[in-house]
Amino acid sequence: MVCLNTEVYQVNKIREGKKKNKSPEKMTGILFIIPLMIFISVFTFFPAIYSFVISLFHYNPFFHSIYFTGVSNYIHVVESPAFLKSLLNVLLYTAVVVTVQTFLAFVYALLFNTASKISRIARAIVFIPAVVSPVSMSIIFIWVFSDSGLVNFFLSFFGIAPHNWLFSTEFAFPAIMAMNIFTTAPYFMIIYSAGLQAIPQDVLDAAKIDGITSAFARFRYIYFPMMRFSTVLVVILGLTGAMQLFDQIYVITDGGPARSTYVPLMYIYNRTFVYIGDIGLAAAASFVLFVIIMALTITQRKVITERTW
Amino acid sequence: MLSTGKKVYARPKRSMRPLLKKTIIYVLSIVLAMIYLLPFYWTVIKAFRNSIFANFPPNLNPLSETSLSYFLANLRTVWSFGDFPLWYFNSVFVSACVVAGSVFVGMLSGYAFAKLKFPGRNVLFYAVLATLMIPFPVISIASYVFMLDLNWLSTYQGLILPQIASALDVFIMRQYFLTIPEEMELAAKIDGLRPWQIFFSIDLPNAKPAIAAATIFSFIGSWNNFLWPLMEVHSLNMFTLPLVLNFFKGANGTQIYWNQMMTVNILTMIPTIAIFVAFERYFINGISMTFSDGR
Repeated sequence: MVCLNTEVYQVNKIREGKKKNKSPEKMTGILFIIPLMIFISVFTFFPAIYSFVISLFHYNPFFHSIYFTGVSNYIHVVESPAFLKSLLNVLLYTAVVVTVQTFLAFVYALLFNTASKISRIARAIVFIPAVVSPVSMSIIFIWVFSDSGLVNFFLSFFGIAPHNWLFSTEFAFPAIMAMNIFTTAPYFMIIYSAGLQAIPQDVLDAAKIDGITSAFARFRYIYFPMMRFSTVLVVILGLTGAMQLFDQIYVITDGGPARSTYVPLMYIYNRTFVYIGDIGLAAAASFVLFVIIMALTITQRKVITERTW
Repeated sequence: MLSTGKKVYARPKRSMRPLLKKTIIYVLSIVLAMIYLLPFYWTVIKAFRNSIFANFPPNLNPLSETSLSYFLANLRTVWSFGDFPLWYFNSVFVSACVVAGSVFVGMLSGYAFAKLKFPGRNVLFYAVLATLMIPFPVISIASYVFMLDLNWLSTYQGLILPQIASALDVFIMRQYFLTIPEEMELAAKIDGLRPWQIFFSIDLPNAKPAIAAATIFSFIGSWNNFLWPLMEVHSLNMFTLPLVLNFFKGANGTQIYWNQMMTVNILTMIPTIAIFVAFERYFINGISMTFSDGR
């Protein structure tokens, strides 16, 4: 995640040693931290624990029925075909979207890595979908993928017959993947851009002297290894983001057709609000999702940081 | 800083290759930007049209069938649809409160984590870090039940308060305060200023870029938030714009009136895009600042 700057920490430590009169600083520090701690405790930590507790109960707040069930919610969730289908979908989605968006983000960053005005403006334009709400983008893309939309329009030049992409079990999910790659690649491009800017010019000059002149060699020996931290970040952020896919699915397909776009959050939402009944089940599903996200994040981090190219 | 690019060194051998390379890069950049503009371009021209359906092939000519009076008519229809002005106000009010709250909270704690020594600082900082690992959907069910218990469903406080604690804002502020040199504060300390006085009179006025970045981030996050309002709001008069968009989509049965829909969409997107265009530098620096590595 966000890296702690060890150097600054050390500087802080040295600095702290020099201080004599600490008590007003102590007071101010504690005072300054109180609002954040209240908000985090009440609206993040408490719900996290509460969530786990609920997952061990059968709980229906609408009919005030509540009793302890132990792990049976978890068993029910992992045995439920709807949840398994949603998990399978989101894993496929993650594999495709994270791979493609990471690659594209890097390509975009390389493309816009010049100091000119054209690059700056183009980069800002490309970035716009990343600040627009997923719901707005979804509304636009319902049209883009509709039978009278842009995609069919461009495909018609190649003689491909119009298709109602979002209503087909085969193409609805790939269409949503494409839309999300379109919007998220620019966001991650910024992380790569920052990484590219941090490469000192001397390194590039030294490489030139060493005979690394082709674009491919530069990529292979300089950009790729030096961008490793950025890649870890982009992959992990992309992963957690992809596993939380919801807004677009809810707005565009509502999980259909025939559950082809069903995702875990859809399952969780439906369990709470549509098949009004068992909130414990929804909470258990959210914890299963959490564990999967954590496991993926940790393994990704290990694989990427331990392997040396 | 992203805005300052690499230096262009004069090359001893002059050939056509760099020029060609530059041209290719520019052409590709412009083509990519155009691809990215296309959906928005269509949204805008659709809002300036009278036809309510999507026709095939799409008419992408900006001058045909478009007129300002059509747009104004669409705007009037949309504005008088349901409680649209109230919904717009809800979005503005909720976002304003979230921004004010989370920037203020982030400012104080970011400063404390960066510059002040107090017992338990590291443990608490790791606790804040840990909140990043808990995705909101995981706690959303419990938050919803919590709001239900408090009887806060469909209220402003229910919408606003859970969005205030933002680890991202804390990080942006902390990273920034770490870059402010100690000497500045030392001088103030010698003059006998107390820590909170140093914060308000010296460090805070210098933190404008970080405040700008935190403001933009929390504004866009809260303005675009969909899942939490969807769970928390059960009455029409508390709707925020993303909910309105989704509501509007189903409002005419299966038939979407594309031109009105796109007018709502423009009204929803304008604040975020305007803020992004105006403060692009802060926004992009904010991302690189938050996710910069400790190399």
